[in-house]
Amino acid sequence: MVIIAVPSFGQGGLNEIMNPRFGRCESFTFITIEDKSIKEVKAVTNVGSDSMGGAGIQAAQTVGNHGATEVIVGNLGPNAAQSLSALNLKIYQAPNEKLTVKQIVELYLEGKLKQITGSNVGAHFGMGGGGGMGGGRGMGGGRGRGGGRNF
Amino acid sequence: MPKRPKIICITGGKGGTGKTLVAVNLATMFRNEGKRVLLIDGDVENPNTFLLLGAKLENKKSVPFFKPKINEEKCTKCGLCAENCTSHALLYIKDSYPIPILTVCSGCRLCYKICPTEAIETDYKTIGWTYSTNIDGISLLIGELKPTEARSAAIVEDLLDTLDEIIKKNPKKFDIILLDTAPGAHCDVELLINKADIIVPVTEPTKFGKLDLIRIIELIELLNKDYRAIVNRSSLLGYRDQFLEELKKKNIKILGDIPLDDDIVNSYCQGKPLMAKKSEFKGGEGYNSFQKIFENLKTWLKNND
Repeated sequence: MVIIAVPSFGQGGLNEIMNPRFGRCESFTFITIEDKSIKEVKAVTNVGSDSMGGAGIQAAQTVGNHGATEVIVGNLGPNAAQSLSALNLKIYQAPNEKLTVKQIVELYLEGKLKQITGSNVGAHFGMGGGGGMGGGRGMGGGRGRGGGRNF
Repeated sequence: MPKRPKIICITGGKGGTGKTLVAVNLATMFRNEGKRVLLIDGDVENPNTFLLLGAKLENKKSVPFFKPKINEEKCTKCGLCAENCTSHALLYIKDSYPIPILTVCSGCRLCYKICPTEAIETDYKTIGWTYSTNIDGISLLIGELKPTEARSAAIVEDLLDTLDEIIKKNPKKFDIILLDTAPGAHCDVELLINKADIIVPVTEPTKFGKLDLIRIIELIELLNKDYRAIVNRSSLLGYRDQFLEELKKKNIKILGDIPLDDDIVNSYCQGKPLMAKKSEFKGGEGYNSFQKIFENLKTWLKNND
């Protein structure tokens, strides 16, 4: 059994759009997978989304506290990446497209998502963006800070 | 209490205006008069005073910075530390040990103080270094921030702690103390201005120079300090008189100005102070302007006593 956390818009849920921001997404949708199919779906508000700093760390904490073992992300900042690595969570990169949480999970189940190890944007990248998918920001590349290196 | 020496802070807001040039040459002129001078380089991201004085970095000392270390034998995994950390530098998942995220830790020690089982221990990481040396009768104290580290003010605080110790041990060890700051009006600069008796902001006759000078003067006045500004490269494209007039209109107090002069560039490139005792630049325009500034500074110091 694995529990996947997906950053989402609004209240979250399978039909909501995946949020490309990790630390400052509005909600997390947790999907329990058993025998390659969805067993349970739960959504929680991201309490740290408006915090001045450390949003990525708080988000990782929320994800960890809800028992997630894997995370699918759009943009991931350095502190968030470091925190997820410290919690030994597997991180998967979502494609740069507007997809629902359900569509993302299907891609995951088909083995089409690539696992990443580090951050792919700089600190405070997702701040002040407001709503929207952040058109054409480009998710590729990977600046590769190497998670957990600073311990 | 014996009187401590006067402390002069050389600052300026804008980068590249000649703060270090002025600091090094003021130190040199005081030394030429037989004064015992301590020059502190508080531009910890780019400490360059030693280069202009032809000194070598010596007596390297680490600057330690607090980092929390979790003692897993004592930790009850209660999460109180993470809950109260305003920097969110402790990652806590229920029923597991908190994990310090050091890149965001401000070093405030709150976690260390509030842990009910004393499971957070004091550990240190090196965030930079200080150096001390002596060159031709000028004592130099230099701070350097380790690249990738962000807490530059902690290096400046370390320098000022050393200064306090020196004065406490022997208030008469030095006759004059000069502080060279980084550009900007941030906390590193504020700490140094606050320590000084009088402030010398250095600017240049450009729009940037004027705006940044006004900003630094705002900070100086907030800290209730007296200042006199120096306009460096004052003959730049003939803007001197217009610029000085503009400053006058804003009631900005001026110590003097330094014209563009190849001698200054020469001394700079060679890493030799323009105002050295046996300076090859004696009598030049740049040399004379520094001499004039120095006389004005001494008069001001006397009146400030």
